Amino acid sequence: MKVGVTNLRVKYSGSSELLFNDLSLQIQKGEKVLLLGPSGCGKSTLLQVLSGLIPSAVPVPMKVEENVIAESAGYVFQDPDAQFCMPYVDEEMAFVLENRGISREDMDGLIQMYLHKVGLHFENAHVEISSLSQGMKQRLAIASVLSLEPDVLYLDEPTALLDPEGTTDVWETIKRIDENQTMVIVEHKVDTVIDFVHRVVLFDENGNIIADADPETILSFYKHKMKEYGIWYPGVWDEHKEELTLKRSSNQSNSVVTVEDLKGYRGKNCMITLPELEICEGEWIVVTGENGAGKSSLLLSMMNVLKTTGQVCVNGKKLRSIEEAREELAFVFQNPEFQFVTHSVYDELAYSITDHVHEKVTNWLTEYDLLHLQDQHPYQLSTGQKRKLSVGTALFGDQRVLLLDEPTFGQDAKNTFKLLQYFEELRSKGTIILMVTHDPNIVKTYATREWVISKGALMCDRRLNSREEEIVHAVDS
Amino acid sequence: MQWTLNYEETWLHRMNPAFKLVFFLVLFLGLLFIHNPNVITYVTFIPLVLVAFYTGHKRKLLLILMIPFLLLFFSSASSMIFFGQGTTTWWKWGLIHITEESFYRGLHIGFRALNFALLGLIFALTTRPVLLFYSLTQQLHVPPRFAYSFMAAVRILPMMVEEFQQLKTALLVRGIKKEKGIKRVTQTIKLYAVPLLSQSIRRAHRIAVAMESKQFHNGERTYYYNTRLSKFDLFFVMYVIFGVGVTMWLGLEFPTYAITDVRK
Repeated sequence: MKVGVTNLRVKYSGSSELLFNDLSLQIQKGEKVLLLGPSGCGKSTLLQVLSGLIPSAVPVPMKVEENVIAESAGYVFQDPDAQFCMPYVDEEMAFVLENRGISREDMDGLIQMYLHKVGLHFENAHVEISSLSQGMKQRLAIASVLSLEPDVLYLDEPTALLDPEGTTDVWETIKRIDENQTMVIVEHKVDTVIDFVHRVVLFDENGNIIADADPETILSFYKHKMKEYGIWYPGVWDEHKEELTLKRSSNQSNSVVTVEDLKGYRGKNCMITLPELEICEGEWIVVTGENGAGKSSLLLSMMNVLKTTGQVCVNGKKLRSIEEAREELAFVFQNPEFQFVTHSVYDELAYSITDHVHEKVTNWLTEYDLLHLQDQHPYQLSTGQKRKLSVGTALFGDQRVLLLDEPTFGQDAKNTFKLLQYFEELRSKGTIILMVTHDPNIVKTYATREWVISKGALMCDRRLNSREEEIVHAVDS
Repeated sequence: MQWTLNYEETWLHRMNPAFKLVFFLVLFLGLLFIHNPNVITYVTFIPLVLVAFYTGHKRKLLLILMIPFLLLFFSSASSMIFFGQGTTTWWKWGLIHITEESFYRGLHIGFRALNFALLGLIFALTTRPVLLFYSLTQQLHVPPRFAYSFMAAVRILPMMVEEFQQLKTALLVRGIKKEKGIKRVTQTIKLYAVPLLSQSIRRAHRIAVAMESKQFHNGERTYYYNTRLSKFDLFFVMYVIFGVGVTMWLGLEFPTYAITDVRK
């Protein structure tokens, strides 16, 4: 046996119940194990116990009969921005080598070797970490952990905060690591890893193991559980599509927004240029393109947050300032926490309305299942609830247009589908959805129109008729 | 976003950072013992030459950075000139009372402030924080625990600035009902401090755990950057000694002001 716990009990301060009640798990040498379960079931905690981070680095009260931890453990965390302590790539790699007491002469060669292992090739590794993409940062994190020469590698949702491209890159990198490397993985995007692991351990919401088997068995017998837990298993989108009844947007609808030669500037640099465009009631437009192409700048220009030339009109009214834009366009940022200005969910919704406050707020809270949380601080909500609330607060001025910056980013499958259905509901009532996204499935399934942005310009504006196909398909079957 | 300044490395960058820190502190103290306004005026050329020619930064940046320091010079000098005490009155108008003594004292204080500022500028422009902390652990035996924590903290700062800008836009878009008077201040603090601090505390905690997971410890370690004293340090000391010698001589032989000790 390589690592394992017998009869583990963990209790977080402030919670009345044990997180694990006599949990036992053994992992053999060379095994690649995937831990699955709903969020909050304690997978990350277990990973930290197995790696020895709990209780040595993170003091959490725990009791265990037998705890075999690896002699050296490598731990890759979720957040690419919160696992480095040095500003440059070579310095970060050297930090680990210094900890291991490697002599200075050997450092340069080792740094290059480990960087090559994860496919990062720099002629001179003195590169600023902040200039790397999120996917490259995670690969650097893996390289620095590999330089610990760990017995066991622990991966705690390493791709949760990455776009699809970064996700593929990181998993390709991990798959190239030595075949005999023992790995314990927590991951929600299972579709990319399921064919790589030997064993899957499935937890329920109380942290009990409900299944421990090979991937095929889990996929055939426990799909319903994965669905319940919001796990991105292979084929989850197809199943979701089958359950959907998407209304086709009518072709004859009123034009609401017109854009004319809009240019957005950051300082003197023109970040985005839009030609003449018209947006009609009930459209769902996805804005796609590479990182840094100008997608967010597009939204910010429409809101007049950036300096702009040209114009945006809503219902014939020209938007000249942020205040005027706010009246017509609702904007939801990527980090919902930044948009909260009060100390309770109720106040947050009541903030920008003046009449029938109680009635309106209560109706909304009931409709979107947040009534029982109305006195909570917005920060205490789950990530899905935070997002929903931020959309709610943004839309409370009865705006007809909703601008969203990657609203489903980092969310689990369940939350993503719930949010998308919420947007679809708004759309069917006539709201225009303008959404920045990296997810090709959203483009294929929900969008009625796609804007492809490249290097600050609109490359392609096309209508998507996927919805029509869906309907034809439904008739056929 | 680009946060680092582009510069050419000069001999000032190659000095040992810990030695530089200690030596500059000594110079700061030394400045307090110069009471002759003639001398301190000439002394100002010592750091000024370094700032102007040997920091390796662009002239334009240096000129911009000089603006607040000149402001500092004039503000500290003028307050002493206008409101200081003295016996030989030159000009009096209401509260403003310029005397010969206060004028020279004002100039003296102005030059002293300018010297402090220039020295600080040299240190800031020619020292990489990472090397400073490496050097502090190696030369002054600061525990690695503190040094590496500081380096991690320096890394968080630009992220905080970026978050601050995001937060500003988010609040702008949300539309804040601005309170009036003193309440406005507390409102602003609350709106910005809570989200920024909560983000930073969480991030700091995560980085700390990540550092420990990479087997960081407070004991013996090897170093990627070996910092030691070099000829550049010696050169700098010689430059200062020579500079002080020359300016003292100039100040005493060719005085520009009629007064030689501001304390009298």
